[in-house]
Amino acid sequence: MQTQDTDDAQWVKIATSADLDIPRPVLPITLGGRPLVLFRDDEGKLGLIGRHCPHRGADLCYGRLEDNGLRCPFHGWHFDRSGQCVEQPAEPEGSVMYQQIKVPMVPVIERDGAIFARLGEALEQAAQRETTT
Amino acid sequence: MISDQLNQRITRIGPDTPAGAVLRRYWQPAALVDELDHGARVPVNLLGERLALVRDDEGALQLVTRRAAANETPTHYPASDDIEIDPDGPRYPVEIRAGAIFAYLGTGTPPAFPNFDCFRAPDSHVFAFKGLWECNWLQALEIGIDPAHASFLHRFLEDDDPDDGYGKQFRDKAGSTEIPMTKLLRDYPRPDIQVDETDYGLKITALRHMEDGRTHVRVTNQIFPDAICIPMSREMTITQWHVPVDDETCYWFTIFTSFDKPVNKTLMREQRLKEHRLPDYAPLKNRHNDYHYDPAEQAALTYTGMGLDINVHDQWAVEGMGRIQDRTQEHLGRSDVAIIRYRRMLRHAMSAIEDGTDETLLMQDTGDTAAMCGPLSNDAIAQSDDWREASHMADLDRRAACPWDATV
Repeated sequence: MQTQDTDDAQWVKIATSADLDIPRPVLPITLGGRPLVLFRDDEGKLGLIGRHCPHRGADLCYGRLEDNGLRCPFHGWHFDRSGQCVEQPAEPEGSVMYQQIKVPMVPVIERDGAIFARLGEALEQAAQRETTT
Repeated sequence: MISDQLNQRITRIGPDTPAGAVLRRYWQPAALVDELDHGARVPVNLLGERLALVRDDEGALQLVTRRAAANETPTHYPASDDIEIDPDGPRYPVEIRAGAIFAYLGTGTPPAFPNFDCFRAPDSHVFAFKGLWECNWLQALEIGIDPAHASFLHRFLEDDDPDDGYGKQFRDKAGSTEIPMTKLLRDYPRPDIQVDETDYGLKITALRHMEDGRTHVRVTNQIFPDAICIPMSREMTITQWHVPVDDETCYWFTIFTSFDKPVNKTLMREQRLKEHRLPDYAPLKNRHNDYHYDPAEQAALTYTGMGLDINVHDQWAVEGMGRIQDRTQEHLGRSDVAIIRYRRMLRHAMSAIEDGTDETLLMQDTGDTAAMCGPLSNDAIAQSDDWREASHMADLDRRAACPWDATV
């Protein structure tokens, strides 16, 4: 797998813009054997992040698309398009644990109606390979 | 996060594993009494072993080993006539309690049954059912000792009339109030969770401090090693085992126990059979059909978009983790305090068996265990800071009014 930042060849098409032209623009994506979730936030920007919630592993493909990000239905942990956790509503008032929580994020670009993800180190680190069916 | 090595150690349950050894020291639900209608031989798939219920020459039930093909599905359920007994395989004792058939897969003398409410209530006041989850038993158990998830996973964006909630979790009023439980859970999502180690496992208290100064007190329990006891409604509790079929598959077995009217078993069975198929009790909503996920419903009515049955929500949460949750990737928070305490107890029990100090295992002393009552499992409203007293008094009131002997 190539890792140079400048080489166009390392971008791979993962979806079309039309695929996300649905009432709830969230899609499961498997790339290099790694489970990811692609979503469009309230600002119209794309996020491609690890599919399993870093809390206890729930499947974010069924997440609530709200508040400009994706919210895990298990305990309400909320992630923005960079994969950063921005809210843990079940944790005690004043807890800042969320600042330390980030889901692996794979860079994406949208061009001429197609969505591309960048292969490379970010993907290599993006969660473990899917080992079970 | 834990190491992969530790994750394997606390999840795998085959005959020669440390966690399997712990589970084999306790009675485990193996089948529902309803399943005896299957025929003279009833298949049982339990703890990685392929077994069958048969009757001995005196007509007493026992659990024996059956011959099985290597490629059988985890919940393979052959016809009675197709079951071939392996006369050289292990045989295990069984006991019928509260509509379920319990088996002891350990060596030595089985422990006594505790005198818990589900085992002392008359047959008219208990009802047993089971359901299949396609995941490891431990993640199934852990969702049951996590009081915070109910405020999210089971959130209803509208409240039904509690009078229509018979036989359903979280559909009654909260404690002695007129507040629907669904509203209380939604309005107070950050419970203060207290965990006490007890002689049966863990007492888990979730406190929701209300705006008017009162406190909602919900007490649930972990019963070592693989059961929980939680309130369902004012009238009923749920005692639920998460029993491994194999490392990647488990059944929940629930005994519903009523402290008031006899259980309407016809309605309870009908409600649940509508959601499951026979003979393997697999839920009709499952990962193969996306749990009937509906984004429009998720936006307007439920947190998950998977209907009103909270069992489906739990099933989605635990199955979505993968067949065995990869705990090397997890990040536990304050809301997971009971899970952390439970894993410590499990690790202690595994080590105790390995070290030969297994007299320290909970509920193995025959005399003490048989006298063990409770556990307290209810929702109560405390008018003051003394929530322990409020919870205790609510429990005593319910027990005093109970038509069967529920005294503690």
